[in-house]
Amino acid sequence: MLDFLTPDLRESLLEGLAITIGLVIVTSLTSLALGFWAGIARSSDRRVRRKVAGIYIEIFRNVPALILVIFFAFAIPNIVPINPRRTIFFNNPVVDLLGDLTGVPIPYYLFAAALALTLNTGAHLAEIFRSGFNSVPVSRVDAARSLGASQIDALRAVVAPIGIRIAFPAVSNRLIHNLKNTSLASFVAVPELFQVIQGEITRTFQATSLLLLAAVMYLVLSTVMTAGLKLIERRLGRVHGETEPLRV
Amino acid sequence: MFEQLRFLIEILPELLIGFPNNRPGGLLLTILLSAASLLVGTGLGAILGAAHHSRFRVIRFAASLWVQVIRGIPLLVQLVVVHTTLGAGRIPGIPFQTSALQSAFVTLVLYASAYQGDVIRAGISSVPQSQIDDARMLGATSFGLVRTLLWPTSFRVMRPALITQAITVFKDSSVVVVLGVADLTTNARIALGGDVGNAPFWVTTYLLVGALYFVVAWTAGRLVRRYEALDRNNFGTVALELPLESSSSTI
Repeated sequence: MLDFLTPDLRESLLEGLAITIGLVIVTSLTSLALGFWAGIARSSDRRVRRKVAGIYIEIFRNVPALILVIFFAFAIPNIVPINPRRTIFFNNPVVDLLGDLTGVPIPYYLFAAALALTLNTGAHLAEIFRSGFNSVPVSRVDAARSLGASQIDALRAVVAPIGIRIAFPAVSNRLIHNLKNTSLASFVAVPELFQVIQGEITRTFQATSLLLLAAVMYLVLSTVMTAGLKLIERRLGRVHGETEPLRV
Repeated sequence: MFEQLRFLIEILPELLIGFPNNRPGGLLLTILLSAASLLVGTGLGAILGAAHHSRFRVIRFAASLWVQVIRGIPLLVQLVVVHTTLGAGRIPGIPFQTSALQSAFVTLVLYASAYQGDVIRAGISSVPQSQIDDARMLGATSFGLVRTLLWPTSFRVMRPALITQAITVFKDSSVVVVLGVADLTTNARIALGGDVGNAPFWVTTYLLVGALYFVVAWTAGRLVRRYEALDRNNFGTVALELPLESSSSTI
């Protein structure tokens, strides 16, 4: 059944898989950081901070990830005239370093895809985190404050730990969605798993077997990631007592 | 600046309703395609959601396998899989071949069914067992139970989550560009074409495309919040707590 898997094919699939996994790890971490801070800013007392976070969240949640990926990869370089464009986007030490590290032929596209996915997933996560923070019972925050905790301390010691636990299942779900969204990078010539599969299809004409293999590989990836996140969720433990429901 | 505006005005009809020889297209097709697949997909999802609560283990297992498999694979991969099998007539026993649009429709129906099915499963779970027992004790038939208790109670609870998922399907439908079915994303791509002279218009065109998706998704999102506010004020019920992230997201 797997006799179409020649050593060549196996090697290029593994390279694609490595890029997909790398993209998942990097964008998960960056979007968690971005989403966490945007979520805090969204529930801040400062009006300007709240508004800015709100605008970011609404825009990047409501535009499809694919449009963002194409926008950052293909559209943005066109702002700059052809001569500086080469040096800014495609031919400079930073980009070359990224290329050396990943083995991707056009590293800027990889960067653009990662940026688009981070902004998209970050906006979704921000809304989930905000909702998680809002679900922390006011009584607990009041208790911390009346014991003399500053606002920052209350956030660090009470709101964040409880809010993160409440939001965790929704966060996991969004990170799994992000894993699937990395396949969108294939639209902008990033040689991740699906791009490799499509390339091999045009080379070997084994469309059905290769596509089923792709489906199974993604299924395994998301299953493994779901299991890993469940494990972390269990490690974090449950929130005891009454909490407000999470509204995302 | 003026040139940018002229280009955008020129391609606006193509983005909104499609190229003259291929209508409906553009945003209109995106909306029609996602609405049609949501309609069928949610119906299928209702069956899946009910199957989750079936008495028979096999049916429960099949329903959760369906949801897990579809939710574990990117829509992009699903589209290509469906179009290279069903679209090429490669599935034994199915004599016809689907067009790109039909393949996109079939895939989106499957995709929507899995997500909506999970919402409906959670919605049904939200009805307290005690109420079901009470209704049974008062002599409710299975049909009466669904019609008078399960459906009205769970639907109100599910409605915001169903709409949220519908918006997700609408946004994700942009991926059908891989099959080239004249939707909004595809038409933007065609309008820009391979012409190097169009390079300066890429940014503004994609800003416009993003804005069009934004307007629809954001407006629909406001609708959810209005429903939620209404529900809390008038009925004293609470919207479904995290319907999509509960137990079934593990395989």
